[in-house]
Amino acid sequence: MANPENAVMNLPRRDASDKLQGRTRYTVDRMLPRMLHAAVLRSEVASARILKIDITRARQMPGVRAIALAEDAPGMHGIGIADHPLFASGVIRFHGEQIAAVAADTYQQAQAAARAIEVELEPLPAVLTMADALAPGAPLIHPDWNNYEILFEGAARGGNIAWEATVIRGDTDAAFARDDVVVVESCFRVGRQNHVSLEARAVVASYEDGRYHIETSTQVPWTVRNMTAKLLGVAASRVRVTVPPVGGAFGQKFDCTLEPYAAILARKTGQPVRLVYSRQEEMLTCLCRENADIKIRSAVTSNGEIVGREAVVLMDCGAYGGEQIFLTTMTAHTLGGNYRLGSVKLASRAIYTNTAPNGAFRACNGVYNTFALECHTDEICQAIGMDPLEFKRLNVLGDGDLGATGQVFEGDVLGPMLERMARLREASPDKKHLAGERLYGRATVVGTWFIFVGPSTATINLNPDGSATLVTAGVELGQGTMVQALPQIVAHELGIHPDQVIVRSADTDAAGFDLGVGGGRTTVSVGAASRAAATDVRNKILTVASELLQTPPEKLVLRNGRIEIATIAGSGMTIAQVVQRAHAVIGPVVGSGSFTNPGVTAMSGCAAGHFIDAIDIPVFNVHDCEVAVDKETGHVEVLSYKVVQDVGRALNPRAIYGQIQGGVTQGLGYALHEELTIGQDGCIRQNSLETYRVPLALDTVPVEIDLYEGAPSIGPLGVKGAGEVPIMNPPAAIACAVANATGLRIQQMPLTPPRVLGLLMGNESVVELPHIADNWWDNVLMNPAHR
Amino acid sequence: MSLHLNINGDDRLSVKDPLTPLVDVLRDEFFLTGAKVVCREGFCGACTVLLDGRPVMSCLIPVGLADGCTVRTVESLASVGALSPLQQAMEQHDAVQCGMCFPGMMISLTHFLEHTPNPNRDQLKSALTGNICRCTGYERIIDAALSLAAERSSGVQRDDHGKS
Amino acid sequence: MPMTDDRRFYVARSLPDALAALVDGGQAAVPLAGATWIMRAPIRQERQDLSYVAISRIDELRNVEILDHEIRIGACVTHAELATSLAFLPECRAIGQAAGGSANPAVRQVATIGGNLCASKFAAADLVPALMCLQAELDLETPRGPERISLEQFLQVRTSMEPGWLLRRVVVTRAACRSVHVRLPLRKAGDYPVAIVSMAAVLSTSGLVTSARVVVGSVEPAARRWKRLEADLTGCTLDAASAAEKAEKYSEDFRGRDGIEAPGWYRVKVLTSLVRRAVQAIQQES
Repeated sequence: MANPENAVMNLPRRDASDKLQGRTRYTVDRMLPRMLHAAVLRSEVASARILKIDITRARQMPGVRAIALAEDAPGMHGIGIADHPLFASGVIRFHGEQIAAVAADTYQQAQAAARAIEVELEPLPAVLTMADALAPGAPLIHPDWNNYEILFEGAARGGNIAWEATVIRGDTDAAFARDDVVVVESCFRVGRQNHVSLEARAVVASYEDGRYHIETSTQVPWTVRNMTAKLLGVAASRVRVTVPPVGGAFGQKFDCTLEPYAAILARKTGQPVRLVYSRQEEMLTCLCRENADIKIRSAVTSNGEIVGREAVVLMDCGAYGGEQIFLTTMTAHTLGGNYRLGSVKLASRAIYTNTAPNGAFRACNGVYNTFALECHTDEICQAIGMDPLEFKRLNVLGDGDLGATGQVFEGDVLGPMLERMARLREASPDKKHLAGERLYGRATVVGTWFIFVGPSTATINLNPDGSATLVTAGVELGQGTMVQALPQIVAHELGIHPDQVIVRSADTDAAGFDLGVGGGRTTVSVGAASRAAATDVRNKILTVASELLQTPPEKLVLRNGRIEIATIAGSGMTIAQVVQRAHAVIGPVVGSGSFTNPGVTAMSGCAAGHFIDAIDIPVFNVHDCEVAVDKETGHVEVLSYKVVQDVGRALNPRAIYGQIQGGVTQGLGYALHEELTIGQDGCIRQNSLETYRVPLALDTVPVEIDLYEGAPSIGPLGVKGAGEVPIMNPPAAIACAVANATGLRIQQMPLTPPRVLGLLMGNESVVELPHIADNWWDNVLMNPAHR
Repeated sequence: MSLHLNINGDDRLSVKDPLTPLVDVLRDEFFLTGAKVVCREGFCGACTVLLDGRPVMSCLIPVGLADGCTVRTVESLASVGALSPLQQAMEQHDAVQCGMCFPGMMISLTHFLEHTPNPNRDQLKSALTGNICRCTGYERIIDAALSLAAERSSGVQRDDHGKS
Repeated sequence: MPMTDDRRFYVARSLPDALAALVDGGQAAVPLAGATWIMRAPIRQERQDLSYVAISRIDELRNVEILDHEIRIGACVTHAELATSLAFLPECRAIGQAAGGSANPAVRQVATIGGNLCASKFAAADLVPALMCLQAELDLETPRGPERISLEQFLQVRTSMEPGWLLRRVVVTRAACRSVHVRLPLRKAGDYPVAIVSMAAVLSTSGLVTSARVVVGSVEPAARRWKRLEADLTGCTLDAASAAEKAEKYSEDFRGRDGIEAPGWYRVKVLTSLVRRAVQAIQQES
C-alpha cells in the first residue's frame, strides 16, 4: 500500500494555460453548424391565471423555427415532491416564470417573437413574504399540493408549507423551566444571495438518432439527464448529457434548469439550439441562497452549559420547493450543531411564496445558520458575563459528544482547532492601528458543515502506453478537483505521475451515475470511486506482472511508471510493457469502482422529515476577523482574516488555499455588499451588476490559513472536501466583529453601509418575527400527541 | 456598410450592424471567443480588449466606433507555443480557477503593467476595479502580477519557456 | 442591441456635419460619444429605435487645450485623457480626481466629459459636481449659433433644447484655488457614488477662505451648489471639524433621492463626513 503522503503535492492545473489564453471553450463558446438561438418568454407578474396563449403571430415572425409550450413538457420535477413544471402550468407563480420558449435563426429574432406571443392573464393575489404565506387565510400558492407526487417520504407539509423538518431530543421544556438558567432569545432575518457565476446558465441541445444530446454548463449531468426525461415524458435513456469546462457554478447549476427548453426546441426543429440566460435573467431568476427568518432561544446556566435550545427557521423556497426542501435537513447540523446541547427542538420549514424559486449556493443555509448561531452565542456570553472564546472552548463538540439528532461525533476537532486559531492570532500582530478614528472589533467563530457524500462510480482504462484514462461524471467548475485532486489520487494508486492520468470530461453515455459536483463531495465520493477503480486496476496489473516477473503480487509495487520488486529499485518492467503483455493474456486492463455513503446513525425518533439524519463527514471551521467601522458612513472594512479549516488530509494545499481565499471573499460579499430585495411586483430589484455589488479586488484581504489535518474521515486517503466550506463562517465572523466594535445587536445580513449607519443612529427597526410563535409547538404541523 | 478592423494583426471586414457590440462581433463573426459576454454593462470586465492600445469594455463599444481601429484580444498575448510573461506568472502561481475572468484580467493587467511598471498592491487592486472574479478572491492574481513586476524591475527577463 | 439598419448610425466627420445630422433626425436622433451610457439602454428598458450621430471622430472635440487663463476641454475627451492632461495642474485637482476615480479603468478610457454632462438621468455623474465647483462654462453649438452657458444653467435646460445642438467644449478658468472631489461608493471603488462633495476654495495669504464653492452630487437627481455652506465657510479659516458641524446643520438643504442601492436619508447623512474629508484634503494641499 503506497504511502498517502506521496499523493500530496501542489500539482499545477493542466487547464490553466488554455484558460489564460482564452482558448477554453465553455458551453457559452460552443457553436454548431445551423445552430438556432432560443429565448424564453417570461411572466411580468407574480401571480395570475393563464387564460390564453396565442402563438399565431409569433410563429410567423422572421427566422422563427419552433415554439415550445407547456404541452411539450407534461412532467413535474422537484426534490422531495414533484411540484415544479417546466412551463407555468395554467397559473403563473412568480415574476419571471417561463411561459414559452422560441427558437429562431438569431437571438434578436427569438426575442422579438417571444414578445409577440399573446398571453391573456387574470391577476391573482400574490403572496410575497413568508409572513404573508403563513398568515391564516393566505392564498395557496399550490392549491393542489396534496396531489403532488411524493419523492421522499416522511415529512409534514401542507398549505404554503412545502416541507417541514424537525428535531426533538430530550426535554427542552424542563430545561427552560429550570431556575438556574438564563434564557436568551434572538431573531435574525437574512436576504438572498446570487452566485454571479461569470458563465451564465447555458446549453446547446441537439436531437441525434432519436436521442437528446444536451451539452450544458452543469454540476449534475445525471440530474439533467433524469429530470429532462421526466419533464419531457421520455425514457431517461433517450437523454445524453455532456459537460464542457464550467465557468463558475457555486451551486446554481446543481439542478436541471434551462436544458429541457433547448431539448424540446432541438427536437422540434431538428437543429442544434443554443439557450444562454442573459445577466438580467440570471439576476432575476437565479436559484439564490434563500432568504430566511430565524428565531433561536437557549437556556444557559451561569457557568455556560447549554441545557436547552429551541429554534425555528423559515426558509423561502419561492414558487417551487427545489433545494430548500432538502436543506431543511441542514438546520440540525448547523444551527443545531457546533455545541453540546442538553436538549433541543428545531423546526425548519420551507415556505412557498410567489417569488423566483431559490436553490443551492455554496454551504447553503449553513451560512446564515452559522451567522445566527454565533451572534446568538455572543449574546449568551454577554448575558452570562463569559468571554466568547472561553464559552466556545467549554462547549464545542468533541469526541463522543451527541449532535442535535443524536449522532455521536468522532474525535476532538473543534477544540484543537480553536487552539490553532489562538496560536495564529498570537503569531501575527493585530491590525487595530489601521482602524484610525473608526470603531475596531474582532471575533472568532466556529462552524460545521458536511460533505454531501452519495453514489459515485469510476472506470479506469490503463492504456498500452502506461497512461490511465479516468472516466467519471465529475465536472471541473474551477474548483480544481478534476485536474488536481482526482489525478493525484489515481496516480498515487498506480505509481504514475498525475500528468499521466487523462481525465475524461463528463458524458452520461460513458460514465456511470454520480450524484453531482457540489457539497464538497467530488474529492470524497468521486475520489473514493476513482480510488476503488484504481485499486481494481492495480490488482489486475499486479496479477499479470506477478506471472511475468515470477514474484508474488504482494512483493511488487507500482512506482515511477514501473512495476518493481519492492525491495529492488529499478527492477521489474514498465507499466506499458505489462499492459501490452496483459492484452495477450487477459485483454485490455480496465478497472471500476463505486462508492456510496455508509450512513451514520442518529438517535432514533429525533429527526423527522430529514433527508440525512446524521452527517457522514462533518467539516469544522474556525474563522477570525478584525474590522473597522466608520461611524459616520457605516462602512465596514475587513482588516484581517484568518482561517483554520478541517481538511482531513490536504492533497493539494495550494489549491485549497485558492478555494479558501475565494470562498471567504464570497462570504464577505454576503456579509457586507450583496443585497437582494423584492419589489411590490414580486420582482427582484437588483437586476444587474451595477446594483448587485460583488466584492472587487480592493474589497478583500489576503486570508491567513492553517489547514487542520488528521480529523477522522472516510474519504480516500483521509481527505475531506475543502472547496465548499470557506464561505460559511465569514458572515458570522464579520457580524460578531461588527457587534464587538459597535456594541450593536446585529440581526440582519448584509451589513451594507446604510444598514450599519441606521443601526448606529438607532433608526433601524428591531427584527421581531411575530409570525414565529413563542411556543415552539405552534410553529410545526406535527402534533405533540403524535410524538 | 462594411467596417474595417485590424484584429490581432489581421485586417478584417465586419458586415455587422454598426450598433452591434464589439464583443459580439469578435465572438460571433470572427470566432475569437476569448473575450466573454457576462454583464453587458461594463462592470465585470470579462469582455476587456485593447482598442487602439487602450483597454475597453467591448460590450459597450458599438462596432461602428471601432471602424479603422486596431483591436487586440487575449488571443494575441501569447506567441505561438509560449505564454506571455504575465500568463506564465499566473500559471506559476496557480491563480486560475474557472477561468472566465482571465481573458479580461490579462488584457487589463498587461496594459497596466506596461504603463505602471512598479505598482504597489493597492494600485494593482485599483487597476482591477473593472475586473470581477468570483472564484479566486483576487489575492493570488495580485501576487502573480507583483512578482512579475518585481522581476522586471530587477532586470530579470523571462524567456519563452518561462524560465528566468 | 436591436436590429437596425445603417441609417441609424452615422459617423460625423465635422461639427457642421454632426449638427446637420442631428437636425435631420429631430427628436429621434442623439449624439453618440463614448457610448457607455447608450449601449446600456436595453438594461434600462429604454426605447431602442433612436438614431445615433457618432461624434467622437471629430478631432476638435478630442482636444484638451491648456492656455494661460483657461482650460478648454473638447466634449469627446475621455475621463482617462482628462485625468492625464490635468495631472499636473493643481488648480483643477477636483476635475482630475473626478475623472481619474470614476467608474473603472476601461470605462474611463471611453466615457467622455460630454457624455457625463449630457446624460440627464445619470444622477451619480462624477464630472458634473467637480466642474461646477470650478465654475465651468459650456460652449454649445445650437441652431442659432454658438452659445456659452454656465454648467448650472445647462443642467436646467439640457432636456428641453431644440434638436440640432451639440456640446462642443467645456471651459474652466484657471485660478489659484484649491479643489477636491470626494466621492463615496458603497464598496471601495467600482460602483456609482451614493454621494459626492466637490469643493473649491480660494484662500488668502493668511489662510482665510475668500471664496468657497461646494457642490453636492448624486444626492439629488442633479448636482447643485450648497450655498448656505459656502456662505458660512467664506471669511473663516478652514477647519474640518467646524465645517462638518456646519454641514450637519445645513443637511436639511438637501432631499436625498431613494435608490435601489441607498435610501435618500443616507445620502444626506453622509454629507457631513464628506465635507469633513473635503476640508481635510484641501488643508493638505499646498
